[in-house]
Amino acid sequence: MSAAGTDGCGAPAGGIKVTGGAGNQAVVQGRVTSAGTPVPSGYARLLNSDGEFVAEVPLGEDGGFTFYAAPGDWTLRVLAPGGIRTECAVSASTGMITELEVAV
Amino acid sequence: MSRSEVLVDADWVQGHLDHPGLVLVEVDEDTSAYDKGHIKGAVKLDWKKDLQDPVRRDFIGSAEFERLLSERGISSDDTVILYGGNNNWFAAYAYWYFKLYGHDKVKLLDGGRKKWELDSRDMVTDVPARAATSYHAKEQDRSIRAFRDDVVAAIGALNLVDVRSPDEFAGRLLAPAHLPQEQAQRGGHVPTAKNVPWSKAAEEDGTFKSDDALRSLYGDEAGLDFGRDTIAYCRIGERSAHTWFVLHELLDQPNVKNYDGSWTEYGSLVGVPIEVGDAK
Repeated sequence: MSAAGTDGCGAPAGGIKVTGGAGNQAVVQGRVTSAGTPVPSGYARLLNSDGEFVAEVPLGEDGGFTFYAAPGDWTLRVLAPGGIRTECAVSASTGMITELEVAV
Repeated sequence: MSRSEVLVDADWVQGHLDHPGLVLVEVDEDTSAYDKGHIKGAVKLDWKKDLQDPVRRDFIGSAEFERLLSERGISSDDTVILYGGNNNWFAAYAYWYFKLYGHDKVKLLDGGRKKWELDSRDMVTDVPARAATSYHAKEQDRSIRAFRDDVVAAIGALNLVDVRSPDEFAGRLLAPAHLPQEQAQRGGHVPTAKNVPWSKAAEEDGTFKSDDALRSLYGDEAGLDFGRDTIAYCRIGERSAHTWFVLHELLDQPNVKNYDGSWTEYGSLVGVPIEVGDAK
């Protein structure tokens, strides 16, 4: 577990993918894991560059989350049972899927 | 109305499971959430399939609402405790909907499903068997529901509160960022609307902020005139139901309406004024 910070974040192996799947959306998606195992219970929150809340999703059974953001810089915050709270900086671009792996 | 009359906390619910005359109801945007696990004894309401007319864009009528609640085993004199995901957006929407049809005893679980989950409280998959009832609904209370003409007439005259995120208010996004962006409407906001995102009324765990914090958020910070009537709107009326709950139920503002048509209707209307750009 990491306290609020950015140490648990990273792009998955292969870096940021550009795929045809994003269309005209600026997609931020990823997965939350703990010691390599998906975290299925918890929440991913997207904050804008002023730190204001923009959106939140419950994590999927695979620890996954997806946001359709606007292009720009965002902060992704993860909340999970047991007082887990960690965050990562992320940039989104139109037509791109930005992938994140968050370790808590 | 005081906070204790409209809100219960997770400990209270934990201590009142299986209490006669009390019905827990889960309402989610992700309607599969209930099936994966819910608070013991809770019944499910699907905000779309159960509460929306399947053909026209409107709510089900009072006869259909009576049929629905009778079938789910909810009585007119039961105390209904609503909770759900998305920081209680859809539960607040259902709360407003129950009030629209005149249900007296209805409360929200503060923090909803999120707080319950983050507290690592028990959830079950068993669906309770409740005997059917003969629910009686009243006629819709139009004093809490705004229509598009009310919104146009309110420009520059009443408090208009746009509770969407700043990016949706400015017109850069057309939907909250966890949903694909829609294209049918023009982006922007109703002129003279103040942007007070619903999320400012909630703590990170989904519980409501204190009355004092809420009063200063809408009054001092946003500049709402508490002496005037208010209409709240968002994209489809669920986030604004959350703000309606804050203004009408927690802060006791007498005349607050939720505009359930919200931006998906307003942003598609021909000829109405729209303003774009960030809050001034």
